[in-house]
Amino acid sequence: MVDATEHELVPEHHLVDEERLEEILDEYNIERTDLPKIKRLDPALRDVDAEAGDVIRIERDSRTTDTAIVYRLVIE
Amino acid sequence: MSIQTPKDISSIDFGLMDPETYRDMSITKVITADTYDDDGFPIDMGLMDPRLGVIDPGLECPTCGQRSGSCPGHFGHIELAAPVIHVGFSKRVRRLLRGTCRNCSKLLLTSEERGEFLDRLERTIELGDDQSDVMKAAIRQARKKDQCPHCGEKQFDIKHEKPTTYYEVQDVLTNEFPELIAAAMQGDAVRDEDPDDVDRDPMSPDELANETGIELSRINEILSGTFRPRPEDRKAIEKALSVDLTEEDMNKLMASDIRDWFESIPDEDLEVLGIDSDHSRPEWMILTVLPVPPVTARPSITLDNGQRSEDDLTHKLVDIIRINQRFMENREAGAPQLIIEDLWELLQYHVTTFMDNEISGTPPARHRSGRPLKTLSQRLKGKEGRFRGSLSGKRVNFSARTVISPDPTLSLNEVGVPDRVAEEMTQTMTVTDRNRSQAQQYVSNGPNTHPGANYVKRPDGRRLKVTEKNCEELAEKVEVGWEVNRHLVDGDIIIFNRQPSLHRMSIMAHEVVVMPYKTFRLNTTVCPPYNADFDGDEMNMHALQNEEARAEARVLMRVQEQILSPRFGENIIGAIQDHISGTYLLTHENPEFNETQALDLLRATRVDELPEPDRVDGDIEYWTGRTLFSELLPDGLNLEFTSATGDTVLIEDGELIEGTIDEDGVGAFGGTVVDTICKQYSTTRARMFINEVAALAMRAIMHFGFSIGIDDESIPGEARAEIDETIDNAYDRVEELIEIYENGDLESLPGRTVSETLEMKIMQALGKVRDTAGDIVSDYFGDDNPAVVMAQSGARGSMLNLTQMAGCVGQQAVRGERINRGYEDRTLSHYKPDDLGADAHGFVESSYRSGLSPREFFFHAVSGREGLVDTAVRTSKSGYLQRRLINALSELETQYDGTVRNTKDTIVQFEFGEDGTSPVKVSSDVDHEVDVAEIADGVLEAEFEDDGDTFLEQVRDETDTRTNLSERMDAITAQGDD
Ligand SMILES: [Mg+2]
Ligand SMILES: [Zn+2]
Ligand SMILES: [Zn+2]
Repeated sequence: MVDATEHELVPEHHLVDEERLEEILDEYNIERTDLPKIKRLDPALRDVDAEAGDVIRIERDSRTTDTAIVYRLVIE
Repeated sequence: MSIQTPKDISSIDFGLMDPETYRDMSITKVITADTYDDDGFPIDMGLMDPRLGVIDPGLECPTCGQRSGSCPGHFGHIELAAPVIHVGFSKRVRRLLRGTCRNCSKLLLTSEERGEFLDRLERTIELGDDQSDVMKAAIRQARKKDQCPHCGEKQFDIKHEKPTTYYEVQDVLTNEFPELIAAAMQGDAVRDEDPDDVDRDPMSPDELANETGIELSRINEILSGTFRPRPEDRKAIEKALSVDLTEEDMNKLMASDIRDWFESIPDEDLEVLGIDSDHSRPEWMILTVLPVPPVTARPSITLDNGQRSEDDLTHKLVDIIRINQRFMENREAGAPQLIIEDLWELLQYHVTTFMDNEISGTPPARHRSGRPLKTLSQRLKGKEGRFRGSLSGKRVNFSARTVISPDPTLSLNEVGVPDRVAEEMTQTMTVTDRNRSQAQQYVSNGPNTHPGANYVKRPDGRRLKVTEKNCEELAEKVEVGWEVNRHLVDGDIIIFNRQPSLHRMSIMAHEVVVMPYKTFRLNTTVCPPYNADFDGDEMNMHALQNEEARAEARVLMRVQEQILSPRFGENIIGAIQDHISGTYLLTHENPEFNETQALDLLRATRVDELPEPDRVDGDIEYWTGRTLFSELLPDGLNLEFTSATGDTVLIEDGELIEGTIDEDGVGAFGGTVVDTICKQYSTTRARMFINEVAALAMRAIMHFGFSIGIDDESIPGEARAEIDETIDNAYDRVEELIEIYENGDLESLPGRTVSETLEMKIMQALGKVRDTAGDIVSDYFGDDNPAVVMAQSGARGSMLNLTQMAGCVGQQAVRGERINRGYEDRTLSHYKPDDLGADAHGFVESSYRSGLSPREFFFHAVSGREGLVDTAVRTSKSGYLQRRLINALSELETQYDGTVRNTKDTIVQFEFGEDGTSPVKVSSDVDHEVDVAEIADGVLEAEFEDDGDTFLEQVRDETDTRTNLSERMDAITAQGDD
């Protein structure tokens, strides 16, 4: 099967540790469930060992700001 | 009048209503279907009982004591003789029937399963997802059970016959049971069993009695058919003989049965399904009491002939009460069950259609005239319904709509408003010391003289209408503190709109210029954002009614603030059509003009002094077109780009050094010069530039004269001969291909059949004809040909259009293929069947100028029709898509922390567009990123290095609002009133 994570248009996905997550949630004054979602079986999470409830940090390339960071909550 | 303060809504609960609540809120029970007595008075406890509210003006409501208009109306109720199902909940009723036990009403889930679904429900609520998905899943799981895990009762399938009938599909003893038992006792095959597969041992009645524990005499009675075995006995016999004695039967569930069933569903089980039993007990989905809407919700109308005409809802309620009474009478009289059931169904039908009269499979209830009744759900649904028709969109005051027409003397920021519109749309001015005399002047002009006034409001709140008669007198009385509703005057800001409003530039703010006649006038450069033309288009105008709205419109919505489109980040307002032809003629060959001509070209711009002449011949001075164009450019502008014509345009320090100014320079949809001025200078500077370019271009095109006629598309005989030869050659080539094909020698292209290959090759050969014709045609037309000028400059049309006019129209196509439809094996009866030739499949060799032959004309119409159908289909599809997109996105909002969130406060984007930038504020060019250093240097230099002179100059430039005469800023500042 094709490994989607190898594709140049698929950005890096990393697990966020709990400590950093608390900071992020504080920064935006939100609950974990207010984050955008990503399915646990998303092809981009192939190499990430994520459980439902974890949070993923996605680092995208951007023409205007070089990188754009997005956080997503892993769901079933 | 009491002052009501707005209240914060902290939460809203939706739920079902308890029948007791219906009774509590009811002011009276309604028992009679009659509305008025013989004297025309409403009957007590009838549908028009005065206690239900007043609609006649002047009467006092017996319930609340208020008069018509203030009395909100009061509910009544009908006690239904038998329960009926509420149609709105028919799906939910079905789900609950399928998911709960027919005996003990408990949810058919084990405690483990219940736990799982409770967890899942909790998670779903946390994530803000749809709870009904969990309910559906739980019901699906419960439905799998054949037996109740709590009481062991066997469960049956529930069949739902729309809209409101439910059956239990049960197994009952078949009437053939004696024959089946007898056959099985002999060891024979029963029913549709295959005799070869049966290995049943024969059994005597004695043996059967022993095996089943049923007395022998009873067995004999069963065998003779005089006794029907009880369920336990039936099962024992079935087991002993391994036969199935049952058949399927539909057991109808009456609404009362369902109500009983639902009443005993425990609250804890409902919780698993996401139902809050405090607010919604499931048995409340079965109505026992029907609320009667207040008369204010169903007012009766008195017709011209004095007859009363009742609302559709009242008609429906009359039906319900009649059937309800008949039902009760019949039941008391002990009518047969069949009659009772019929009446019950009828009652159900009337209550159902009272709620919704457009249910599929149910005939709609009709008025005597045959018109279907408009009942509750019809009042809410659809485009004209309460939501889309009355709440999301409604008719507004201070709006006007009329035909639009062009006026090149207006600034693009302006709109010409007919005086009769200006007299109707008013602005409220608060009278102060400074504007009192102005206000008095307006009032004394009266309502019918242009800058007049229609109403005044005294400080005590009284509003007085200004009339021809009282205006002089009233003007004297106007004091500080009064409010005067004056007519629109030049310089007022209004909102202007053209439907379909597909992007934000479809609604822009304009400054008013009051004009005679009946149309709205626009500068032609604002046609692209509105997608407007003047073939009868109409537009809407809205006069703003408070200072906040006016300020917001002026700052955010003014046309000049919309020059850059967020769709592609470049300008959408700029020169179009003749403007582009004009600048092309002015700059392409860089012609010279004497002083009179030069001043005439620039007369509608701010430029009133000519620069140094480019050439002096004796004592006559000459200026070139590029020099005159340069007068419009701001100082310090440096640009280099390629024009649509193809040459390089070089602008240095606001001087056009070389190149043609055409669509790519000043056009709408990304004209480089306009785009750059807008981004590097200011929107005001860009507005001035566009206005002046349009004015200069119009002068230029008038100077040279520009027209197109039939002779501009005629080509000399030798060119015609050349084209004819090309066509002949192509025909020969096609014949040749067909011959090869018919001989079976044509080699197919990879992945195509032979006939597909032939089609492709023919298309190719014929396609080449048009290209060649195009080349021949353009060789014969000079650069001064008006069609060529328009095509090259990008003003309008293309070389293809010219080819088709002068040379050859070419192949007509439907769905990208040659025309193949029509008769069997041929397109028209003029051709032999299976003719593959060029002319038989829509090749048009004539030009538009020479005219098409009848057959060519037909094929041209065929392919033209396809285009029309495509557009029609596309617009309706994209309209619906737009509606859905807007509904989905309308609640998203960028917060002060930069995140984009929906109303639930969940994050959609961490930064707007993931970069926090506006598409109109970034560089238009992928290769040229924003040079932050240069900008920073510029700002620093401007502010510190020359004592801020450049900075001040820049600010002054930005606030300089003069453009051309039409903007009349002097006049406006002089007479400004508020
Ligand atoms: Mg039109
Ligand atoms: Zn009342
Ligand atoms: Zn049970």
